[in-house]
Amino acid sequence: MKHERLKISKIVEELMNYFFYMGATEFNFNVQETEEHFRIYCQSNYKENSLKKLEKLVKLLHCTKHEELEEYYWTLTGDCDVANELSLVGMMIDEATVRYGEGEDVEITLYRYKVNKSK
Amino acid sequence: MVLVAWGLTLLGFGLAMDTPRGILSGLYRIIVEPDFLITDYISVGGLGAAFVNAGLLMLISTGMLRFLDIKITGASISGVWLMSGFGLFGKNILNVWFIILGVWLFSCFQKEKFSKYVYIALFGTSLAPIVTQIIFGLNMPKTFSIPLGMFTGIAVGFILPPLSTHMMRIHQGFNLYNIGFTAGIVGTILVSIFKSNGLQMDTRIIWSTAHQMPLAILLGILFASMVGMGYVYNGMSFRGLQKLYKYSGRAVTDFLVLEGFPLTLINMGVNGIFATVYVILVGGALNGPVIGGIFTIVGFSAFGKHLSNIFPIFIGVALGGLTKMWAVNEPGMLLAALFGTTLAPIAGQFGWGYGVIAGFLHSLVVQNVGYLHAGLNLYNNGFSGGIVAATLIPIIEAFQKEE
Repeated sequence: MKHERLKISKIVEELMNYFFYMGATEFNFNVQETEEHFRIYCQSNYKENSLKKLEKLVKLLHCTKHEELEEYYWTLTGDCDVANELSLVGMMIDEATVRYGEGEDVEITLYRYKVNKSK
Repeated sequence: MVLVAWGLTLLGFGLAMDTPRGILSGLYRIIVEPDFLITDYISVGGLGAAFVNAGLLMLISTGMLRFLDIKITGASISGVWLMSGFGLFGKNILNVWFIILGVWLFSCFQKEKFSKYVYIALFGTSLAPIVTQIIFGLNMPKTFSIPLGMFTGIAVGFILPPLSTHMMRIHQGFNLYNIGFTAGIVGTILVSIFKSNGLQMDTRIIWSTAHQMPLAILLGILFASMVGMGYVYNGMSFRGLQKLYKYSGRAVTDFLVLEGFPLTLINMGVNGIFATVYVILVGGALNGPVIGGIFTIVGFSAFGKHLSNIFPIFIGVALGGLTKMWAVNEPGMLLAALFGTTLAPIAGQFGWGYGVIAGFLHSLVVQNVGYLHAGLNLYNNGFSGGIVAATLIPIIEAFQKEE
């Protein structure tokens, strides 16, 4: 068993933990599965003066995909509320878009292809 | 390229330390000698053969990563240093293949690329002594022991991927040598099966104390060159090192991915020098197992360890030595200090106080768990670290304030 769908659930858990850490009081998730990919979209508010943390989030989510690290470590995603595994999430996905601005909600869109396109 | 250069350095050092005949006969002795803890290959095969074995293992694992087209990360660096470090006490050019073959078979069974499991295969060779122990160490006819040893190694490799992934959750990544924890449990089960069939197995100590000077010089040059190269590549500065020290080090903290090659290299060199100086200051011997411990720290300095999170562990283990019945320069305590840095993320995440407690507890637990797997799990400290982390983390978190 490869736990493909469980990995998506864990990525969502990790992002939820992150939003709580950012002081979010309202967030929405949308997960879509197609023949080619999983798409995770989320939108969340956050505490003011968190822009630096969001910059770090962008950096971590843009780690390139590393299937070999994912295979060994994926169970750690979403499992801890005293530390984050956002770089691991970055290693598990193929594409990440993060949009945010002063006073606006943050919007994150992640794609995980079913066939690895990173090589 | 750098990984190859490091491998060639170890290989070259080995070749310079003995005659070709001495190295070949030493390699033979290393291969046929049972490898369970603690078996110092410098004692068994000589300085030259031990380092040739370590250098070859580093080159083989680097070649494997290259062949599988793996992007080099901190995990890759930690994997190849781990292979070379344990190439001085327990892993050799024969016994690692059966575990790797088992993991490869698992990837075929899952219809997946072997590259996805390559780190589990490399780290999983911690149970390689099982193969040698069955083939050469048990009182059985070779026609029976050879296929049994090979089969056991392959079977262990086959079950490691799902087990190691599952075990990770138990300590939440706060024990960096996760495979050590997994292999400790597998080893305990296997040894129980062996013992229930009347086979006697126990740990032992083969520990060399000669060759201090050449080894100190080798380590000094190796680690100083890392710091120097990192300093040059980092624009003739140590800028950014403080930022690296702020990471907790909990898995997955890949310094190569997060902070780049120059700072990672500096961190590796600094930690290598620190660990070597510690061993010399406490009056410990530089030999196969100790250098294996130092190399493991250096490797994992690309994947979670830095001076700020390993230092409290050293203090904790030293306290364990001062307050209990073991001296800090005894084999078990030296290895506990070096390999105990598997718990560095606890200090990095929760502060130095908890790091010291983790190191202290580890120094006591590690002295008692080797018996369970009869020294067949080379990452005995990873086994102990997993137990300590799994126990300590929920307690620490219970006393943390909600943020």
